[in-house]
Amino acid sequence: MDPILEMNHVSKVYGEGATEVKAVQDVSLALEPGEVVLVMGPSGSGKTTLLSMLGALLRPSQGEIRIDGTDLTRLSESQLPRLRLQNFGFIFQDFNLLSALTALENVMLVAQLAGARNGDARRRAVEILTDFGLQGRLDFLPEKLSGGEKQRVAIARALINEPAVILADEPTANLDSKIGFEIMRLLRQIAKEQRRSVVVVSHDQRIREIADRVLWLEDGGFKTLAAMASDPVCGMAIEKDRAAASLTWEGAEYFFCSRGCRAEFEAGLRSAPLPA
Amino acid sequence: MIRLAWRNLTQNPARLLISLGGVSVALVLMLTLDAIFTGMEQRVTAFIDRSGADIFVSQQDVRNMHMASSSLARGQQARVKSVAGVASVTPILYVTNPILAGKDRSLAYIIGVPSDAKAGGPWEIESGREDPGAGGVVLDVGVAAKAGIGLGGEVEILGDTFEVVGLSHGTASMAGSVAFISLDDFADLRQDSDTVSFLLVETAPGEAPEQVAAGIEARVRDVTAMTRQEFARQERKVVRDMSTDILAIMNIVGFLIGLAVMALTVYTGTLSRRAEYGVLKALGARNGKLAATVVWQAVISVSLGFLIALILTSLLTVATPLASASLRLVIGLPSVAKVVVTSLVIAGVASLLPIWQMARLDPATVFRRR
Repeated sequence: MDPILEMNHVSKVYGEGATEVKAVQDVSLALEPGEVVLVMGPSGSGKTTLLSMLGALLRPSQGEIRIDGTDLTRLSESQLPRLRLQNFGFIFQDFNLLSALTALENVMLVAQLAGARNGDARRRAVEILTDFGLQGRLDFLPEKLSGGEKQRVAIARALINEPAVILADEPTANLDSKIGFEIMRLLRQIAKEQRRSVVVVSHDQRIREIADRVLWLEDGGFKTLAAMASDPVCGMAIEKDRAAASLTWEGAEYFFCSRGCRAEFEAGLRSAPLPA
Repeated sequence: MIRLAWRNLTQNPARLLISLGGVSVALVLMLTLDAIFTGMEQRVTAFIDRSGADIFVSQQDVRNMHMASSSLARGQQARVKSVAGVASVTPILYVTNPILAGKDRSLAYIIGVPSDAKAGGPWEIESGREDPGAGGVVLDVGVAAKAGIGLGGEVEILGDTFEVVGLSHGTASMAGSVAFISLDDFADLRQDSDTVSFLLVETAPGEAPEQVAAGIEARVRDVTAMTRQEFARQERKVVRDMSTDILAIMNIVGFLIGLAVMALTVYTGTLSRRAEYGVLKALGARNGKLAATVVWQAVISVSLGFLIALILTSLLTVATPLASASLRLVIGLPSVAKVVVTSLVIAGVASLLPIWQMARLDPATVFRRR
């Protein structure tokens, strides 16, 4: 399958000479349609810079970024706003809804920016917000919405123009764990059902299990590219090379979050009836 | 973007009120001043407009009454009368001079009219008689009230005492009032019976005043003859020329106050939403769209401010004559058009700095932690 978004040998350098800072160094990344990628890493590792470049908000110092075959590093400044409107949906840590507009108007506005007429924008916004269970909150100002509702409005806003890629910056940071998990499940559902690529930058370890891939960014580069596995006992998502234990049985390799889970798994194997 | 502009404005009622208050005060200043001068222009030509004359004949090249002097030989009256199309000729004497009533002193156009005047006398009598007669004066009712005198009261004009025999309406303005005395009394005061100031001509029915005026100038030497309308226009022009500088200064003051208030409120309003504009920019809004939002905010503010100013000034036009008979405010269309244009200029100029700042706003700031 062709990647929807490709980042090839991208670097970003701020300043020059003694004040030069290499925020991102020679990073490459390809996103498949419907894929959820989680980018983690310590503060100052370059996550924000990476996300900004992926979303055509920041030009890389080197390398190319292609979306649907178009190299966005070659586009003029005046072409970037339309590219962002049509290809990217943004979700922010602080929700970033416009405080003077209602939930419905926040979503409608982005459709109108892309050229939709008022009636069409309203119809589409109502449809998405209703899908997200917000039909009773359409005319509420953001200040009257809960954190989870605000983030769902923000997701609706990100989806209104049917972008190929959704970029989420710490989407669960201001939500409690239950709501945060629901939001992430919603994002995963959108990715799988609508075949949109989702890139999430987060510190939240709890959302690892919804990602198809977890990338660890440190000192401006991906240090490990860990494929995820699910613990067959407790169901927890874990990185294969960071698993506490593993086991090969009948040609298949299993990864566990703890030795206890592996012991339980082994006990289960012993008590299983022997094949005839 | 209009909806966003409107919501941004109305979300903070206190800021909106300050903005509207400041702008409307500035615009009221401009509208009221214009209304005062328009009213004054109309009142200042009240005598000419209501004189009943179709043509004003004056000394050659004298084209108005205010701050002007005209002298015609009495003999000119007969020569003018002989011109085709002339129905009647009324000589009047005129001077601008103070009227003293007790301790009260007010400037007036003193008009000397003959007792059989076909034109040039008071046009609306409140009480008393129309013909001042010997030793009498017809005074503006407002001036008389201010001086605390009525019919039978005495005033001093050009050094002589006159008895108030009539009170007239619509004969006062900020520039002064009109007082009527007899032509003979006026001539005695001047110690000159051989000259008059103007000849007021009534044209015969069906005659065009322009043609008759041209005929007078062709047939009578050393005079200028103008239709009533042209004479009034010249009179207004003189008053306007005298007040242009004051009007210009006050208009500039009003403009600057409005601009300062609007610029401050648009700037602070935009600054407080800097993060939101950054989000819009990140989402894909072009600079033009964001600029349009700012301009709409300013335009909506000044439009509301203008409406408030128009209502306030209209109320003043009703209330002012109740407080002062000599003051009349008239809101003219040119004045409204001027203030509308000024309002739009204020909105445009006030938007420049916020637009410039938004154009420089980096959309990538949305991902930076606050």
